Amino acid sequence: MTMSALSRPGERDRLVVKFTQIDWTFAIALCLLAGTGALMMFSVAGSSWEPWAGAHLFRFGFCFVLMIALALFDVRVWFALAYPIYGIGLLLLLAVEFVGDTRMGATRWLDLGFMSFQPSEVMKVGIVLALARFYHGISAEDARLSWWLIIPALMIAAPVLLVAHQPDLGTAMLIALTGAAVVVLAGLSWKVIGAAVISFVAAVPIMVMFVLHEYQRKRVMTFLDPESDPSGSGYHILQSKIALGSGGFFGKGYGLGSQSQLNFLPEKHTDFIFATLAEEFGFLGCALVLALFAAVIFMALRTASLAHSHFGRLAAAGVTATFTLYVLINGAMVMGLAPVVGVPMPLLSYGGTVMLTVMIGWGLVQSVRVHRYTEVTSGKGAFV
Amino acid sequence: MSEPSIFFSEVNERQGAFHRRSFLLGGFAGVGLLALGGRLAHLQILEAQRYQKLSASNQFNFRLVPPPRGLIVDRNGAVLATNRPNFRLLVVKDGEHEPGETLKTLAHFVPLDEARQERLMREFERTPNRTPVSVMEDMTWEQFSAINVRAPEMPNVTADMGEVRVYPHGGAFAHVIGYVAKVNREDLTETGPNSEPILLHPGFRIGRQGVEKAFDLDLRGRTGAKKVEVDARGREIRNDTDGDIPAAPGKTVELTLDVDIQNRALEVMGDESGAIVVMDCRSGDLLCMVSAPSFDANRFVRGLSTAEYRALADYERRPLLDKAMSGTYPPGSTFKMTTALAALAAGINPEERIHCSGGWRFGGRTWRCWRHGGHGAQNMHDAIKNSCDVYFYQVALRMGPDHIARAAKALGFGQAFDIGIPGQRTGVVGSTEWKRTQVKRDPTWHPGDSVSYGIGQGYITANGLQLAVMTARLANGRKQLNPRLIKSVGGVEMPPGDEVPNLPFSQEHLDYVRSGMIAVANDRSGTAFRQSQLGLGDVLMAGKTGTAQVRSYDGVANRDSRSVRWGLKDHNLYVAFAPIDQPRYAISVIIQHGGLGGATAAAPRAREVMRVALLKDPEIRARIIQPMPLPDVTDLPPVGVAPEGAVVAPPPLAPGEPT
Repeated sequence: MTMSALSRPGERDRLVVKFTQIDWTFAIALCLLAGTGALMMFSVAGSSWEPWAGAHLFRFGFCFVLMIALALFDVRVWFALAYPIYGIGLLLLLAVEFVGDTRMGATRWLDLGFMSFQPSEVMKVGIVLALARFYHGISAEDARLSWWLIIPALMIAAPVLLVAHQPDLGTAMLIALTGAAVVVLAGLSWKVIGAAVISFVAAVPIMVMFVLHEYQRKRVMTFLDPESDPSGSGYHILQSKIALGSGGFFGKGYGLGSQSQLNFLPEKHTDFIFATLAEEFGFLGCALVLALFAAVIFMALRTASLAHSHFGRLAAAGVTATFTLYVLINGAMVMGLAPVVGVPMPLLSYGGTVMLTVMIGWGLVQSVRVHRYTEVTSGKGAFV
Repeated sequence: MSEPSIFFSEVNERQGAFHRRSFLLGGFAGVGLLALGGRLAHLQILEAQRYQKLSASNQFNFRLVPPPRGLIVDRNGAVLATNRPNFRLLVVKDGEHEPGETLKTLAHFVPLDEARQERLMREFERTPNRTPVSVMEDMTWEQFSAINVRAPEMPNVTADMGEVRVYPHGGAFAHVIGYVAKVNREDLTETGPNSEPILLHPGFRIGRQGVEKAFDLDLRGRTGAKKVEVDARGREIRNDTDGDIPAAPGKTVELTLDVDIQNRALEVMGDESGAIVVMDCRSGDLLCMVSAPSFDANRFVRGLSTAEYRALADYERRPLLDKAMSGTYPPGSTFKMTTALAALAAGINPEERIHCSGGWRFGGRTWRCWRHGGHGAQNMHDAIKNSCDVYFYQVALRMGPDHIARAAKALGFGQAFDIGIPGQRTGVVGSTEWKRTQVKRDPTWHPGDSVSYGIGQGYITANGLQLAVMTARLANGRKQLNPRLIKSVGGVEMPPGDEVPNLPFSQEHLDYVRSGMIAVANDRSGTAFRQSQLGLGDVLMAGKTGTAQVRSYDGVANRDSRSVRWGLKDHNLYVAFAPIDQPRYAISVIIQHGGLGGATAAAPRAREVMRVALLKDPEIRARIIQPMPLPDVTDLPPVGVAPEGAVVAPPPLAPGEPT
């Protein structure tokens, strides 16, 4: 397939052609990451597909097919559904506020009868779509600094406040950072960025003292001095660091990680699966996995820069920013550089909701890639 | 980029801004990932060793192993206290499983009634997390294997094999050896041997009484450790046998007691309450020290129920009291040898006769002799043989209390001996000085006090051990023997009881008094002639009876103890030694509230125990079992004065001549 073939009218809309336009290198990288996750789950379950490794691969398979399917949707469909998806997400968050299920002191779930479901996950993709849709319609000048920017500010603030109130600080922070990433990518003035960063840094201590819940404050405090209480709340961080450090350069060997096999490592198959990996495969294995993550991120960013439509660019970059944040926050947490906030390592960690969100996001990115030449038409300010 | 038209149409300000910003995002991601890589390198390469150590200390744990407790054996090595395997059921509170639920499940396999479950729940509340609680001891093999088969479903349950203390002779040694029991909170100290973590082990037992308590540290041994791989909840995954530190068993404590004599002594006590002490007259070794009734020390190891404890504590014959050491009784007529020795030392002529008419008026009242009709004219020898009270009333009055006290102390009264275990009560040895300082309401010594002192009543009390020591010292005839109970600890011999100064009495006086004791048991008119026949040929016993009253006879029409309740009956005593020619063993028997006479209640028991002691002695056996003498031997040596080693013909069964 040559580029000239793609330029022929009608050729690009053929399904087979679209199929070939998917970034298959990227797809293989995703498979390798998910496969690594399953490998570690197999190890910590005592060389068993039950209960995690099998389910993880099955879910990934399903999500992978979903990603391919979503990649074939025209980017203009995504464009048209951007605001509706955001709107539904917001409504669901409001619904959680009033009729949500309370588990372990937090109201995050909606019981749909056959499954429970976290609307905050919808918002992770919804916020990217809605902001990309909005910035598609305004000029570079307006995106830099104008009164229009009150709208994206409100678009971000509404879901962040609702999620923070559940309370789910980790997800609220992720949504806020994802939104902020899109706003910055769209070309926000450096002066505003600087002012925002300064005011955020100033606000952190106040947030910690007055806004955070007791358990959240404790986590932050423990993070600052984890060894003060090694059997209490500092336990997670300390055990994770022991698992990492004891892995050394080559690791203890597959299935031989004492920290994870003997349950010293908490959440060994979910949030702390990277520590399991580090213990058994050492620095070498970790470096390879981090390189895979880097490849995924850079391939996705390349996709974003190829798109002809501003919507496509911002949507793809926004999804990539979310993914990057996941990887960096989880990595920092596992390595004792950040408080324990409950952010999983995408693709590696066990957990259906996050897998689904991430793969839907990659479906959007691939759709942008497949339809990178597609013109998305809309007038200035046409956000309704 | 082969479509320049499209490419250039999209070149605008927005795209340029996005490209610059997306480079920034890429840079941010790159820096972030590199930072993570740097952190990884720091942890996994630079600090790897430190974390490997921490990981190993998580993974491996040393589990304390209680050492086997040292044995307690008798003088011949017969085991008196040992350990036997015990299948034990432990439940650990791991914060994950509800102990109450676990107990309900376990109740299907082992008997755990509601009340026991409630008691255990209270124990769970008190114990910290991860410390196992013993739910049941001594499971049968069937119960043990039933639990073990289901162990994978119950991760907080362990069924293991520990050791439990066992006393094969039950009650016979209960007072001397004591028992072990669970460690109390009060036993734990900040420093010293009782601060060691092994005390918190559910299988560890601490000595509570007697030898178990006094030699607890010697018996404990050195704690071992088992190197195990554990998971985060502290459950054992694997045992690394190469890393084990073996436990060293405790030292063996060897007693001077003899298991056969001890068992026979408890046997002859029957239902009676009292004590029997047997002592070697040459070495001072205690061969028997029994207090009756006794209790089964094995029950204390497991822990008594309240009902069991109440039954023991409330019984009027007091099984928990060691009557050989802690019970003090008036010695009664067994004290008369002491009075006699004191009189001889005070210069009273033993051949002087005092007339006994069955009573003696002094100080406004009649002091009765035990024999209503009186003994007639008595010299000291007759007075001992007949146990004439009137003679000793008058002798005691004549010399005063301080002479008697001096003799009594020299024979061991009023003294606690260093036998290695605590619990001796010294009793009272009256003297003018003692009464002045100790009796606040009446500090002067009255002549009447001396009168009853002379026959071992009033201001004189003694325990069974002291009576045995007195008898052994008289029988030894020279040394101020000390008793010894602990023969060796961990193979190290304890100091013997015969490295002592001589008695402060002249040999002549001691021989005189001893001849009185020989007459008591061997003269047909002696007070315990019939009860003292050993039936061991020429091996004869000497003794002295005693009856101590526990109530005032004033105004009592019938002195006969048979009609009054147990607590008011007379005490019956007998002290004896054998053989009379070369004394080997001394014995004291106290029958508390026996209600008969010293001769009737105590002497036959002394005889039975003495027979066992004599028959176990190879020297004595050689004397009894011997070839029939040649018929031409006519020169029979008199009984009791056979030179050592001489071949002696079997004497007539009952010796006729009083000595």
